[in-house]
Amino acid sequence: MNTLKSRLRTARSYLPLTFNFAERELKVQHKRSVLGWAWSLLNPLSRIFVYSLVFGVIFRFQPPEAGSGQLNFAMYLFSGLVVWLLFESMIRGSMHWLISIGDLRRKVYFPLETVTFGGAAAVGFQALIEALVLIVFMAGYGNLGWTMLLIPVVLLLTAMFGLGIGMIMSVFNTRYRDVENLVVILLSTLFFLVPIVYTEEIIPEKAYGLPAADLIGANPVSQFVSTFRDIVYFLEWPSIGRISLLALYGFTSLGLGWWFLNRQSMALSEEM
Amino acid sequence: MVREDLAIRIKDVSKSYRLIRNRPTSLKEAIIRRSRRFSIENFWALRDIDLDIPKGSFFGLIGHNGSGKSTLLKLLSGIHRQTSGSIEINGQLSALLELGAGFHPELTGRENIYLNGAILGMNRRQMSELVEEIVEFSGIGDFVDSPVRVYSSGMYVRLGFAIAVHVNPEILLVDEVIAVGDEEFQRKCLNHMEMLRDKGVTIVLVSHDIEQVRNLCDRVAWIDKASLVEVGDPEEVCDRYLIHVTDGEDSTERFN
Repeated sequence: MNTLKSRLRTARSYLPLTFNFAERELKVQHKRSVLGWAWSLLNPLSRIFVYSLVFGVIFRFQPPEAGSGQLNFAMYLFSGLVVWLLFESMIRGSMHWLISIGDLRRKVYFPLETVTFGGAAAVGFQALIEALVLIVFMAGYGNLGWTMLLIPVVLLLTAMFGLGIGMIMSVFNTRYRDVENLVVILLSTLFFLVPIVYTEEIIPEKAYGLPAADLIGANPVSQFVSTFRDIVYFLEWPSIGRISLLALYGFTSLGLGWWFLNRQSMALSEEM
Repeated sequence: MVREDLAIRIKDVSKSYRLIRNRPTSLKEAIIRRSRRFSIENFWALRDIDLDIPKGSFFGLIGHNGSGKSTLLKLLSGIHRQTSGSIEINGQLSALLELGAGFHPELTGRENIYLNGAILGMNRRQMSELVEEIVEFSGIGDFVDSPVRVYSSGMYVRLGFAIAVHVNPEILLVDEVIAVGDEEFQRKCLNHMEMLRDKGVTIVLVSHDIEQVRNLCDRVAWIDKASLVEVGDPEEVCDRYLIHVTDGEDSTERFN
């Protein structure tokens, strides 16, 4: 308890630095590019376009009926993708931030977590913008509801869940650079094991003797995605039990990740 | 336990770096050569250092290249952690250890000023009040709004030094970097450090310029081969150090 308290106190005194890293991340990201900020939105939008084309138009997946009665595959896809992109960016970002800060950390002391939290804040900001675009998009189809008030809560828990995993991966990645390659492969595999580009209904009960639907449903990432979809697409309130479960995932992951990064940070600073 | 008259208290500090030979750098290697152990050797950069640095002193550190001076500064600034022993720091510390201390090449000088301030725990508002003074002192002029990757090495050091001394440190660590600046700037740095010392700031300076150390410092520590040779009056320590340098190896034994 005591260490947690002192860690939080240290974290607060490094708040200006964390914000500085967040600001830096947002600035440097699009330096020397003409379209600048537009890229951050063009990326998810192009993915929505491609997936809608392939899965909605060519494969003709039928999305379930939205809260307002719409049947629009792009809407269905977009709502899942926002959560996925946040999760993915947290993990990939964590590895990148820690590597890129090595130069600085060799010359001056600061806790390594500051760069991770700073980067996470920048990614969180990006996710909020995407969520706003999503709301506007949903509004365009008349699919709006009070359940959308939970958007920040579910996104925050998703961010914490991804960040915790990212922190652990980033420590390993500093030692063995191929962790990043491995994680990229795992993430692109996981993407298709989460009902984002397809609907939960079409997953077979059993596949190769495995309870496919249950396995996919038990994956925490699926649960984040489907809860988010409940509130923005189906416009249904999730159960208290579901939100508590997501909170458990979020806090456990971040707690473990932060503890691990903190424990390893002095050793890492000599290896960077 | 904390003695109020000391800015820095170093007790029995040793630092070893692990030199890992044939360490696998990829997972593939780690798996394939699982059976063959890589070897770990300890390299002692500092051994059993005991040193008290009084508040308000201008403290010099001298010694050959690779003797451990810079490692000591790294431990004091918290960049690395000592293997054993303890270090007590009594006051807000600011350090200028390497060329381009904590600069991000893609950011402008101004943005880097804020970044460095933030590292020292200062917020935007506090830094805004200092920016003009820092730019003025560094003399980099309009370059402050260019990314630091276009700076010359002199400009790097001038900006780095200007930041380090303007964030109101109580303890200032300066590695030999100021030698990179031109005569005029070096003069300016030294004057400024004397001014800080008069204000009660503790300064630890690593330098190879023995004359400079003799003139500026009121106490000097000589480190050789990871160990402390002697601490004391600048005149005496510097004299013996110079004799050691000219005489070569055998004189170390005499003073050990």
